[in-house]
Amino acid sequence: MRRSVLLSAAIALAAVLAASPGHAQRKITLNVVTAGDQNMVDYVKDYLAPIFEKDHPDVTVKSVGTGPGDAGSQKIYEKLVAEKGNAEWDIDVAVIHQKAAGQMVAEGLLAAYVKDVATGKLVHSPAASNSLGANVAGYVIPMFNSQTAIAYNSQLVKDPPGTYADLVKWVDANPKKFGYNGIKGGMSGVSFVVGWIYAYTPDAEKLMKGPYDPNLKGSWDAAFASLKAFNQKVVLTPGNAGTLDMLGRGEIEMGPVWVDMFYTWQADGKLPPSVKLKLIGPGMPGQPMYYTVPAKAANMKLAEQFIELATSPKVQAEGIVKRFNWYPGIDATEVKSQLDDATWNKLFVDVTPQDLQTKGKTFPIAPYFNDILEGYEKKVQ
Amino acid sequence: MRSVLSTILRGSGLGAVAFVVFGPITNLALWAFAVQWYFPYKLPVVWGFKYWYEVFKPRSDAWESLTTSVLIALFTVAACLVLAVPAGYAIARGRLPWRGGILLAFLLPQAIPSIAVYFNVARIFYGVGLNGTIAGVVLVHTVHGLVFAVWIAAAAFAAVDRELELAARNVGASALRSFLTVTLPLAAPGIMASAIFVFLESLDEFTGTYFVGVPDVTTLPLLMFTASVAGNYQIAAITALILLVPSVGFMLFIERFLKADVLAKVGG
Amino acid sequence: MRESRLAMFLLVLPALAVVLALFVYPLAMSVVSSVTDKTGATTLDNFAKAWELYREDVIFTLLIVCVSTAFIGALSAGIGGYLVLGESRRAIAALRWLYRWPLFIPFIVAAQCMRTFLAKNGLMNNAFDTIGLIDVQNAVGFLDWRGIIVTFVWKQTPFVALIVAGAMASLDRSTIEAARNLGASRIRILLEIVLPQVSSAMIVGLTLSFVTMLSVLSVPIMISGGAPTMITVDMAFRINAYSDYGVANALGLISYAMTAIAAWVYLRSNAAKRGMA
Repeated sequence: MRRSVLLSAAIALAAVLAASPGHAQRKITLNVVTAGDQNMVDYVKDYLAPIFEKDHPDVTVKSVGTGPGDAGSQKIYEKLVAEKGNAEWDIDVAVIHQKAAGQMVAEGLLAAYVKDVATGKLVHSPAASNSLGANVAGYVIPMFNSQTAIAYNSQLVKDPPGTYADLVKWVDANPKKFGYNGIKGGMSGVSFVVGWIYAYTPDAEKLMKGPYDPNLKGSWDAAFASLKAFNQKVVLTPGNAGTLDMLGRGEIEMGPVWVDMFYTWQADGKLPPSVKLKLIGPGMPGQPMYYTVPAKAANMKLAEQFIELATSPKVQAEGIVKRFNWYPGIDATEVKSQLDDATWNKLFVDVTPQDLQTKGKTFPIAPYFNDILEGYEKKVQ
Repeated sequence: MRSVLSTILRGSGLGAVAFVVFGPITNLALWAFAVQWYFPYKLPVVWGFKYWYEVFKPRSDAWESLTTSVLIALFTVAACLVLAVPAGYAIARGRLPWRGGILLAFLLPQAIPSIAVYFNVARIFYGVGLNGTIAGVVLVHTVHGLVFAVWIAAAAFAAVDRELELAARNVGASALRSFLTVTLPLAAPGIMASAIFVFLESLDEFTGTYFVGVPDVTTLPLLMFTASVAGNYQIAAITALILLVPSVGFMLFIERFLKADVLAKVGG
Repeated sequence: MRESRLAMFLLVLPALAVVLALFVYPLAMSVVSSVTDKTGATTLDNFAKAWELYREDVIFTLLIVCVSTAFIGALSAGIGGYLVLGESRRAIAALRWLYRWPLFIPFIVAAQCMRTFLAKNGLMNNAFDTIGLIDVQNAVGFLDWRGIIVTFVWKQTPFVALIVAGAMASLDRSTIEAARNLGASRIRILLEIVLPQVSSAMIVGLTLSFVTMLSVLSVPIMISGGAPTMITVDMAFRINAYSDYGVANALGLISYAMTAIAAWVYLRSNAAKRGMA
């Protein structure tokens, strides 16, 4: 009796091993690791991977996510640092945030691949060379540009506030109806906090362009104090998706969101059609995400081809703009010509190009960014 | 009159208990079949199987996570049995040096909140390249499972009558032979129970895998967590239902065998 | 024919080695790391920083776990008591079948259930609204520390109730019958006769629950959005966002200290019981 049990267990184990994917030894695996929300991981898995695999039948694309926010990029950074001594690294393409990009270029963890890629010539935005004050030219190509804005339920909020100051008044009158995620769990909350500091300091431009002055953080005490008072009257959500989720289920009426996530959720029926966007003044930040290639990637050539595909005008138009509602990473002129006007304008329904020009900000340079985050942890939380 | 009142009280009391117990579970079932559900609707706006297709389509993460989870659980059971059977026998039978210390060591993982231990283990594994591997996760699950496996095995062996073993030895069987032919078969039900328990614990384990496995090893609980945090409640609900199948199955199976007074001896 | 002590020790050794290497050693590492700063010098800075940033969460963690334990104890005493003292056979059978279900549901699944059940417009409030108990517009969401308590109590009560009911079932019924014949109310019998006799089983269950709840990460992350939350979430945040093992381990040590309180209670009750017996 025992022997037959062992035998059937062995057969079962063999069957499981045979059935499990990833045992196809004949194919090369291209490891694409993304720091970001699920929609970014899905973009690679459901959209880019099949196109790339059709052109490269001997390659399987493996798409892995390390989580949203800078924490996700931090994980990728740590992994590369841990593998530093190895001859080859097991991440071929890394999609990371600006802060991590600056850090990784400075520490020599990334390859200067842009010159080897044809689409490298299609990017002229400042974000392609300046990452929160660090020079990353030649190391990154933006995957997309994104923007945060305040989403509000237009059925419950008839007259949405247009500035941070108006928002404070609205929250005073409507406690616990506004929600954001603090600085944990996602960058929508972080960008709300950054926008708050921009609104309450005299010189927001200095924070975005530098130079770094370590004494400046002392002048933010009043801003943090008022943010702390503000937090008492709002709901703290678990993250980017948490804010959207609470909006969708009517638990909050307003909250900061990423514009692209907002449109995707609405298209999926997770947000009622009555929820709209407003970019409040003096401004809220947005950020590009970067395609990078680790310096010792095991499949360097394939990684470059992958990025070339991902940053081609056609894919940027079809995938980035049309399917996933992001602003393109390469020059807008290249992408706009690939789409009909209706699709292109869909991106700008609630947040117009003028809004983006005047109120779309960048994140502060890295040292100020860290000061803001630390100040929040110490004085607001 | 009094009996009518007490029947009503009893009924509503039981109703309340049923609501408390099954309400959250029903909620899970509702989300599994909802395609669109948003405020202010009390029930899903659009019903359907769309997300079942998402979860079970061939390229999906769910198949890979399920396979990974089952594989890890099987390896964990194997490792635990190999380690726990001799250890349990020694604890039940023999005179051990430092017996108190050894028993304490096997009690520790249950007596100390293990989350801090997990991320330190992850740090150690980083150094030896075990982080993000199936082997690493199996090791973490094994430690967690050993606590139950060793104690249950020890109890199972303790319940085997020593006289039977001695009888086998008396007719000339070697120590090993008498163990394999007499002791082990008698202790087998208890050991099987511990194996199933370890399997379930490994399948459902989250915290250790969160630190040691991410981002390369995705088990079903991790997949569920990611889906939930991303607001994808339908996928989270369906994955949760998949996770529930072995647990509830085991519970129904054990309903027939679990005697409450056995558990009374716990800690007594 | 006595097996040699050495042979017995060798049998235990592999399992012991695994536990030592993968639990005791990291545990020691965590203690050391909590008092070491980035340069390697010994310092209490990590504790100072942990207290400065997370003291609210520490207090809330203790509060959440203690309140949960109290509720679990009360509810499991009630369930066990009804199973032993109840008068309706059918109600007892129904209760026995009902209460065990959450036992086999893993914490992470329980958290997912509760996340949508306890929300402001979740199933619970909507159900109450449908039967007219409350108005969903004014409903309160439980997705904060109260939700964590509800989830813990929901998941752990069946476990403790199982242990307690088992202990109660094996009691000598003569004392109970005698008290009933004298006309004592069932509540009084429960409190004065039954519970004292099962106290050791109850304390074992509650202690195990206390330790388990201090170690759970999935429930607080999924249910409670922001502060205050449990320190397990803060530990994970320190590691994931900053790789700050010093402060994370300092928080870990604080959780060990909380467990030590529970252990002290357990040992004292055991000693008291031995003293009584």
